[in-house]
Amino acid sequence: MRYWRRRHEPFDLEAELKAGRPEPSPDFVRRLEAEVRDSGRTRVGGRLRVALVGAVTAVMLIALSGVGGAGYAASAGRDAAVSVKRVVTPGDVVKVLKRSAAIDQYGPKKKAKKKAKKAKKKGKGAKGKVKARTRPPFTG
Amino acid sequence: MRRDPLANPEPLIRRVYAYVAYRVGDGPDAEDLTSETFERALRYRKSYDPKKGEPVAWLLGIAKRCIDGRGPVLEFASEHADEPVPSNLEEDTVRRLTVARAVGVLDERDRELIALRYGADLTARQIAELLGARTNAIEVALHRALGRLRETFGPEAEAEPVRKREASR
Repeated sequence: MRYWRRRHEPFDLEAELKAGRPEPSPDFVRRLEAEVRDSGRTRVGGRLRVALVGAVTAVMLIALSGVGGAGYAASAGRDAAVSVKRVVTPGDVVKVLKRSAAIDQYGPKKKAKKKAKKAKKKGKGAKGKVKARTRPPFTG
Repeated sequence: MRRDPLANPEPLIRRVYAYVAYRVGDGPDAEDLTSETFERALRYRKSYDPKKGEPVAWLLGIAKRCIDGRGPVLEFASEHADEPVPSNLEEDTVRRLTVARAVGVLDERDRELIALRYGADLTARQIAELLGARTNAIEVALHRALGRLRETFGPEAEAEPVRKREASR
């Protein structure tokens, strides 16, 4: 290797290896660097967008809760559900069911229950009398 | 918050390219492999763990896998290339070519070590971590690789002893 012999300096292989390290072309470095940086920027941009949407939502919620908007929104949802239920549920069927034999049969008993409850509230005497009449006498 | 391993890509590109060029030879092949390395790094940048090492070590691991997956395609010059005596303007380029050719003559293992130490500028400890070996073993292997490389440069280089123990730094 004449190149090495040409130089009269002491030969330092490690220094030569470092000095003679292969270098990429400036164009290649520029292109690849731009590619890497662009990719990173897109990623950061995506994150920023998500953060922005979150922040706007939080601000809106805070502002609405201050004027009772959250409760209003909740009740609006409930009202909407009731309205939909009214539209979907056929009202006639309900009416027919109310007039059915089963309802007629069990209807008065409910009233009786209410009366019994009222009696219960009034005192123990009424309750005892009713029981004595309905049960057969104890014979031993 | 996790640190972005590719936050400052320019020095990383240079080091990865130098490593790849020492392994496969300077030129378009080295550029392709460097691009492939960074492409994979961008795709899997979330997998980078700072606890396991520096970003350059992570990138060199990717580059190593890219080279290994590519197969042997190396075409280096003959053992003792007799290029014409260079003028001063060409000296730098010729020096690079000469060193690259000399490294190309070495076997795969020696070339890998030289590429990591002098191309990617890793310390013996970093090389040991990357290759899963002991630092002492890497230092010895590097010393031997340098000895074999010195032989390819001829008697003038062989006469000069290794003055610095930079490999163990």
